[in-house]
Amino acid sequence: MSANNAVRAGDATWRRIGDEIVVIKGDGKSAHVLNKTAALVWEKCDGKRGVDEIATDLCEGFNVSPEEARSDVREIIAKLTQIGIINQIEEIHG
Amino acid sequence: MHSSIEITRDLTPTYNTLALQIGSVCCALKCGDEKVYRRLKRLYHSFLTGQPADITLEFEELEHLHPEDPYLAHSESGHVRETGVSFPAAGQIAAGLTDPYHTIGFNGERTPASPDYLDFKYLNRYFSLAYYTACQEKYGGNPPAMLVHACGVLRDGQALVFAGPSEAGKTTIARLCGEQDGEVINDEMLLISRPASNGDGINVQGAPMIGKFPPQRSVTAPLGCILLLKKSRKTTVRRLERVEAYLRFLRQVITPDYIGQKDTRTVLPLMAAFTDEVTGTTPVYELEFTLDGESLWQVIAELGTSLAKKQIS
Repeated sequence: MSANNAVRAGDATWRRIGDEIVVIKGDGKSAHVLNKTAALVWEKCDGKRGVDEIATDLCEGFNVSPEEARSDVREIIAKLTQIGIINQIEEIHG
Repeated sequence: MHSSIEITRDLTPTYNTLALQIGSVCCALKCGDEKVYRRLKRLYHSFLTGQPADITLEFEELEHLHPEDPYLAHSESGHVRETGVSFPAAGQIAAGLTDPYHTIGFNGERTPASPDYLDFKYLNRYFSLAYYTACQEKYGGNPPAMLVHACGVLRDGQALVFAGPSEAGKTTIARLCGEQDGEVINDEMLLISRPASNGDGINVQGAPMIGKFPPQRSVTAPLGCILLLKKSRKTTVRRLERVEAYLRFLRQVITPDYIGQKDTRTVLPLMAAFTDEVTGTTPVYELEFTLDGESLWQVIAELGTSLAKKQIS
C-alpha cells in the first residue's frame, strides 16, 4: 500500500515568529505567513507523518474533532502544495 | 669563507592602496590612477585603517574594455555563480575574481563621452561583496554584522535606523536632520551587528557606503529603534507587530552575496536569522513622514520619551 506524505520544500527558509511561521520560498521572491493551525501542520510535514498522524496532533493541540482535523490538514497541505512550499512524497507501507 | 646570496625583491606597491575598515573586516582598495586614488582617499578618510587586509579590491582604469577581457561581465543577475568567473557591474565597469577569496579585480572604462564616470557609488556593491567574502573565511560564513539599506542618525547616544528601499526617503531624513536633531551616520547603508553571545546588545556601525549625503561617519552606537520609512502627507509613527516588522525589515537587508557562492538560496537562512534576531529584540515602527522637519523630529522626540519610560518601568 502506498500513501502520499507531505514534506516541507527543502529550499524554503522558515522562522517561527510568535504563534505564526513565516516561510520564504527558495527563490526569495515570496514569503508566506502561516497561522497557528497551518504552522502546526507545517512543522509536522517531515515526510514521515501521514494526514492521520498530523490530524491526531492537531486534535491534541486544538479543540477539534478528528474528522474536522483531518479535513483541515488536507486543506492546509493542499494549499501549501499549491503555493510550492510543500512537496508530496510517496511512502510505501508494507 | 662563508658566503651568502641575498635575494632582494622590489616590494614597492605598483598601486596606491587604501586600507578601509568595514565593520570588523579590513578591505584594501588598490587603485592605479593617482588622481582617482586621491579622490577615494578623501572620500573614505573616516574609514582608513592601518590593519592588515582581509581582502583586496584591485581597481584598474582602461581606455577600452575589450569583449574578451578576462573580467568580462557575464550577466546582470547580480549573483556570483562560482569561483573564478567574472560578474556583472554597473555601466562601464566590469569585474572578476583574480585570486580566489582574497582579491577581486575590477576594471573601469574611461571614455571621451564620460571621462568622469566615477561617482564611486558602484563601489558599494564591491565593498559588500568584499565584506561578505572576507566573512566566509574569517567567521565561517557567519558575519558578526550585516549591511542594511538604511539611514542612521546618532541621537542621545543611540542610533536611530531609518530603513527603506531607494526613494523611500533615507536621504530626505538625512537632509531634514539639523544639528540639534542628531548626527547623520550614513544615508545609504549601515552595518547592524547581531546580538552577541555574551549578552551585548545590537550595535549600529557606519560603513564606507556612498549615498547622496556626505560624509559617511565611522561611528558605532547601540541600536535605539528601527523606523521603516513611508512618505506621506502627515507625520505619524506606529509600532509594528512582530511578523510585519520581520517581513518588512527583511526586505531592507542587503543580500550577503560572496565570491564562491553557488546559489542565492544559501544566503536566505542567514538573512532570515539576522532579521529575526534584530526585530525580535528591537522596537520596529512604521514612520510616515512629510517634508516638514519640525514635525518629524517632534514625533521622534516623543518616541524617544516613550521608549525611555518603558525602559525605566
